[in-house]
Amino acid sequence: MADKDSFLHLARPLGPAPVGAQPSTAPLNVVIQPQAIFSILDHSLRRPADQERVIGTLLGTRSEDGTEIEIRNCYAVPHTETAEQVEVDMDYQKQMLALHLRANPREVLVGWYATSSELNTFSALIQNFYGQQGDGTWPHPAVHLTVSTVPGQDIESRTYISAPIGVTAERAADSCLFIPVPHELKYGEAEKSGLELISSAKDLEDRSQPVMTDLESLERAIQHVLDMLDRVSNYVNNVLDEEATPSSALGQFLMNALSLAPKVDAADIERDFNAHIQDVLVVSYLANTIRTQIDLSNRLATAALTLGTGDALGGEGGAGAGARDGEKQKGGDRRNKGRQQRAQEA
Amino acid sequence: MADVPKDSPLRAVQIEALVVMKIIKNSAQFFPTIATGSLVGMEVNGVLQITNSFPFPSVDIPAADGHQDTASNLAAGAPRAKSNATYQNEMIKFLREVNVDANNVGWYTSTSMGNFVNVNMIENQHFYQKELNERTVALVHDVSRSSQGSLSLRAFRLSPSFMAAYKEGKFTTESLQKSGLRYQDILIELPVTVHNSHLATSLLHQLPSDAPKEELPFPPNLATLQQDPNTPQPPLYPNFDSLDLSIDPFLEKTCDLLLESIENHHTELNNHQYYQRSLGREQAKITAWQQKRKAENAARAAAKQPLLPEDEWQRLFKLPTEPSRLDVLLNSRQVEQYARQVDGFTASVSSKMFAVKSNLLPGE
Repeated sequence: MADKDSFLHLARPLGPAPVGAQPSTAPLNVVIQPQAIFSILDHSLRRPADQERVIGTLLGTRSEDGTEIEIRNCYAVPHTETAEQVEVDMDYQKQMLALHLRANPREVLVGWYATSSELNTFSALIQNFYGQQGDGTWPHPAVHLTVSTVPGQDIESRTYISAPIGVTAERAADSCLFIPVPHELKYGEAEKSGLELISSAKDLEDRSQPVMTDLESLERAIQHVLDMLDRVSNYVNNVLDEEATPSSALGQFLMNALSLAPKVDAADIERDFNAHIQDVLVVSYLANTIRTQIDLSNRLATAALTLGTGDALGGEGGAGAGARDGEKQKGGDRRNKGRQQRAQEA
Repeated sequence: MADVPKDSPLRAVQIEALVVMKIIKNSAQFFPTIATGSLVGMEVNGVLQITNSFPFPSVDIPAADGHQDTASNLAAGAPRAKSNATYQNEMIKFLREVNVDANNVGWYTSTSMGNFVNVNMIENQHFYQKELNERTVALVHDVSRSSQGSLSLRAFRLSPSFMAAYKEGKFTTESLQKSGLRYQDILIELPVTVHNSHLATSLLHQLPSDAPKEELPFPPNLATLQQDPNTPQPPLYPNFDSLDLSIDPFLEKTCDLLLESIENHHTELNNHQYYQRSLGREQAKITAWQQKRKAENAARAAAKQPLLPEDEWQRLFKLPTEPSRLDVLLNSRQVEQYARQVDGFTASVSSKMFAVKSNLLPGE
């Protein structure tokens, strides 16, 4: 996303404000988790037809010195905006905040978002509301995140904090200076698999994708790697045929990559490979045997009485035998696991 | 909603990208404790569209040692706790104001290594399926398996026959024979698809930024190549994490869990055998008593005395109650789940190993 802006943050004398109530305008870094963005986009899709932009509250964590902010969560807040006035549902905001904090006690209020890049008087008003003492983020600055949702254009996000501006007292509530701050979108390891699945649907016409099995995703990954290898070998061949411009840096890079391949003895590979593949297959075989045993045990337990003449004990004996067999498998399994561990040590 | 016939079954589940992300975040945050939450959405022609979700409040238990079990038990039972029902209603009431689909369509839970078929899950889903509009699902997100490659997110419902059996609360051998319920029939899995909104699609095309379109000059040396900001990030899809070779820990963990399940199965069988033995003993006692009474009566008849009643044994002896077979059923279902998981692991690990082998030993 629009992360390539560069910022120069200038310390600046603050406007007239009561001593001791000075909110900090120190520069800070904002990290946004993707789910917050998805949430904002969803809200933007669900906005009332007559409304240009919608707003909501951002929740997240703040580092101890207040210079790092991570936006983790957000929720929509209904508001109405006309040419003359703006109305934010304060009660809604308060109650929703309380509900969210019950589920995520570690998250705090960090600011608000709007789904248009525009900053206007109303933005200043809302910003001052979120940054105020009491319910707001004071003494930390409130973060304002704008996400543009203009159809046909890239989604652009910006983050700001604000500083009071020296105007007359009666206009102080609806004016402030928005200072852009850097931000980045970060996703963790846990989200990677989810994002993979979601983004696999991005080029499809119906924008949906069934959940893949492990094997399918493996196949796709291998396919992709093969494609990339093809591209590289194509380039190398072209260089050899003197059709493409050679580059020593690229050559060096490829050499480094190739030399990473371990040099191992063929017999060692053969042996380790066979040992390991046998372990894996035995585990799979045993797992399936256990499944069959359990199935059998269940069937015997419920089928016994239908044979009539009350030889339930015989049936149970059968089930017991099933369980004993199960145990035998278990022993086998344990032995096998031991072997597996030995193989790993080797 | 109301005009749809009650018995139209759900065919599939469609999840918004937002819900996927929210569930992952919530589950990862609370891992290894189980995280649960509520799903909202609507049903259209047999397809359940899940459009939003929110987590249930975490249970506040002082994190003293030894209380781990109680904490996770409480977390697992959260979806049917009374306080959470109010929380859920309140949240849905608020979500309605911002035009989110305000129907509860189920709940989600996180799990680890497919270890989710237990009484808690059944009770939760039963709670949802009987109370509400009956078209609800349980989404199960496997945190450990997702970390190893592809996302594991599955949707389950309880089968009608199991619902009927659970309503009666009887899982004796006799009732199972009558209903023909097998452990395979407890849960019905529904196919899950992920759906993106247009805006989300647009966002995904920017994530991570594409490789530059124009021709780039060749880097002068290796260091510049490595620091080049134009070098594209690895794409989100396909995820190269699934090429990771270390799958043994997962296999091992699954084996451990499988052993645990067998252990449980064995205990249950022992309980059952104990029941059968005590039942046999009681029955033998009853027969002995009946014979004794008959002989006595015969003697009394011979002596022209009034006969003693022959059905007194019902008061004197009490037959032991049969232990519920529900645990056995669930355990069997769990074992089946593990076995399939092992199958899945084996399939991918053996293909990876063959790939590595042919890579290291070319020309064979």
